[in-house]
Amino acid sequence: MSATETVETTDPQPAPSVAQGSGSVRGRWGEKAALPVAWLVLFIVFAALAPETFLSMGNLSNILGSQSILFMLALAALLPTRSGDLDLSLGSIGGLSAIIVAVLNVNHGVSVPVACLVAVGVGGLCGAFNGLFVVKFKTEPFIMTLGTGTLFGGLVFWIANSTTIVGVDRSLSMWTYLRQIGGVPVQFFYCLLVMLVIWYVMNHTPLGVRNLFVGQSREVAVLSGINADRIRFGAFTLAGVIAALAGVLYVGTTGSAGPTSVETFLLPAYAAVFLGATTIQPGRFNALGTGVAVLFLATGTAGLQLLGAQDYAQQLFYGGALVLAVAISRYLRRN
Amino acid sequence: MATTALELHHISKTFGATKALQDVSLTVQRGEVLALLGENGCGKSTLVKVMAGVYDPEPGGRMVVDGKDVPLPLHGDAARHLGLSFVHQDLGLARPLTVLENLLGGVAERSGSRTRIHWRAEARKAGEMLRSYGVDVDPLAVVNQLPPVEQALVAIARAAEELKQHRERTGASSSVLVLDEPTVFLPEEEVRFLFDLIRTIVASGASVVFISHDLPAVRAIADRVTVLRDGKLAANARMSDVTDAEVVEMIVGPAAAGLSSPKHGQAHGAHRPDAEEPRSFDRAPEAGLHVTGLRGGQTSGLELHVAPGEIVGLAGLLGSGAEEVPYLLFGAKQASGGELTLRGRSVPLTKQHPGQAVGMGLALIPADRRRDAIAPAVSVAENMMLLVVRRFSRGGRLRNALLRSTADERAGALDVRPRRTDLPLGTLSGGNAQKVVVGKWLEIGPEVLLLHEPTQGVDIAARAEIYRAIKRATETGMAVVWVSSDFDELATVCDRVVVVSGGVAVTEIVGQGISPAAITASVYGADPGATPNTRIVEQVAP
Repeated sequence: MSATETVETTDPQPAPSVAQGSGSVRGRWGEKAALPVAWLVLFIVFAALAPETFLSMGNLSNILGSQSILFMLALAALLPTRSGDLDLSLGSIGGLSAIIVAVLNVNHGVSVPVACLVAVGVGGLCGAFNGLFVVKFKTEPFIMTLGTGTLFGGLVFWIANSTTIVGVDRSLSMWTYLRQIGGVPVQFFYCLLVMLVIWYVMNHTPLGVRNLFVGQSREVAVLSGINADRIRFGAFTLAGVIAALAGVLYVGTTGSAGPTSVETFLLPAYAAVFLGATTIQPGRFNALGTGVAVLFLATGTAGLQLLGAQDYAQQLFYGGALVLAVAISRYLRRN
Repeated sequence: MATTALELHHISKTFGATKALQDVSLTVQRGEVLALLGENGCGKSTLVKVMAGVYDPEPGGRMVVDGKDVPLPLHGDAARHLGLSFVHQDLGLARPLTVLENLLGGVAERSGSRTRIHWRAEARKAGEMLRSYGVDVDPLAVVNQLPPVEQALVAIARAAEELKQHRERTGASSSVLVLDEPTVFLPEEEVRFLFDLIRTIVASGASVVFISHDLPAVRAIADRVTVLRDGKLAANARMSDVTDAEVVEMIVGPAAAGLSSPKHGQAHGAHRPDAEEPRSFDRAPEAGLHVTGLRGGQTSGLELHVAPGEIVGLAGLLGSGAEEVPYLLFGAKQASGGELTLRGRSVPLTKQHPGQAVGMGLALIPADRRRDAIAPAVSVAENMMLLVVRRFSRGGRLRNALLRSTADERAGALDVRPRRTDLPLGTLSGGNAQKVVVGKWLEIGPEVLLLHEPTQGVDIAARAEIYRAIKRATETGMAVVWVSSDFDELATVCDRVVVVSGGVAVTEIVGQGISPAAITASVYGADPGATPNTRIVEQVAP
């Protein structure tokens, strides 16, 4: 290309980018801290409005423990999102896992550990099924997982025979909800563990860096010789496994499973993932950010409940957070 | 009645410090085909965009359409209302839609959204309209299922019909159809269908401005030729009065001028000093890169041999196939045939994919930097070290600090500015981003570096830095395939230039014979015997 045409395609000059760069250091600190600060503000507001109940040990443990299903599902949703895809079937995979645990244990007398293993295995298969159709057949993940999600949801109804199955062995609840460490249900620590593993792999391994490029600029990743298909397939499969864990936590928390259970957590899970992309590592879908976002959502809904708000307030909060999070993370990613 | 359809007088246009057009005048007579020729960057496209109202020219220019003065600059839809119509290389068709829907697009916009469309009647009318131009295409066919030549015919017929309706509506005596490189993606034997259509259009009362690099096509269809060079009017001639060699000379300038025209010399520094002897290379068959029978896209049996340490330029007009070679060799685009041999290892190119290419030691720096080469939201350091990220991992743990410090060092060596490898790569200027891309690939110590327009949108200082880094890497035996439409660049960096035409290598220019003028002459198919050190490559049968 020669002089005249070069002028038309020249990228921004270096000078303004320097200014933008140095300015963005301060700006980024603000961005990184925005969500944790918002969480703190929320916490203080609720503590001031309802000091007796909100600051009680029971409530604090409730905030950390009760939202573990959401936490786990959000971590599942994080994986495909990070590699540039979207999986709308994760709620149904969680539901399928829950009903499998319940049916195997209650109706067929299968022991809890075996039932859970089967459920998690089926979750992995469902995730691989998504990966196969989205990646190998090169389809839009949005519409494809909407389809597979409905398919898995149909399986749940079929297996459950449209009824709620109760009376799952108490030992499962012991291992998830009832046993506590420092007053916090042990399942919260399972979520923390999964979050830390994801965080480590994403930020401290070569695989994490390759995954980052697959999600941010897939063409570049492919032309750098990265097997993007394998990474995306792996993300879908692992997401299925983690969503199935969320289903197991659901059964542990409620002692039962019905035709609809984990599905309702899908939207707040994505709210947490997108909200999480605005903090810790702004502009990137990241594990620690997702964790902070889950706590933010959990605090908000717990506080609203204590103040006596109706059920719809929780929906308003989740929905509002998702709308804001998507807009903000989109804005950050553009820069 | 005016005898001229369109006159442009004293048109100038400046971008920053570059004078894209200087005092250019152009006249299109009624009922003629005028060829507008010139090298890449000579100002052709700028002139067309001034006509279309995309660019505002400097004050002082005049435009006369059908004998009437038109105030410049044009705005919005003004060109269309003046009876000017443009068909660009991309044709401007909605490819998933039918021919009929494409034809109705404009009509539907004009007649308001409440008018009912009678599809069957419209299909009949569209069929008749196309046939009146000698275009026999089913109006209900989906555009992307038509062969390329029929797509081009539909686009041109649509534009011609628009002009005809304009003349009928306004009573204008003339109108101008501008065809911007319509033949580049067409097989040679099908170009004549286009000529039949152009003759029909001219016979119906329009004039045609035909922009092309394809001299035989220009010879076949144009009545007159206007040539631009370095933003200035270089020549006007009747086609019947000039030979092909004379046209090429108009395009590249007198041989001496070609080497020292103001645009060239300064941008790239002096050309290779006469003292510099051509380097010698190890031509043993087991060394270097060997490509045989490459097919895919526009290439049809291309053969290429590059010795270790050699920089080979590929030059060709758009559509020659040259620009597809890097992607086909790298597996970024699927080849339909051919074999690549590197250090004695042969792979069929139909099975090539980027993962395997990187494994063999191939590197690709693609032309579309924003889409294919950089992850703008990711940091400079991570972009730069992506390919060797494994090197920074110990026991599965990535040593981010070491990665960052290594990237800092490399960025320093390439003078990447600002010296901040933690910034997102997207915030760097084009030149600095490209330095990072070059650094990223040189980091793996590739056997073969494939480049396509590597200095597009790159400033002069960054260019020099990139040339230097690549030259240095060739000293350790890296072979380079360099595809560029900037022939000054090829003359500056290459040990050998291979000219590609019709999908095969046709000419080779070596050593002292390499000059922008020689490359241009050869690319335009002028007699290559005129320059020393040029030889015709034995043509591989397609």
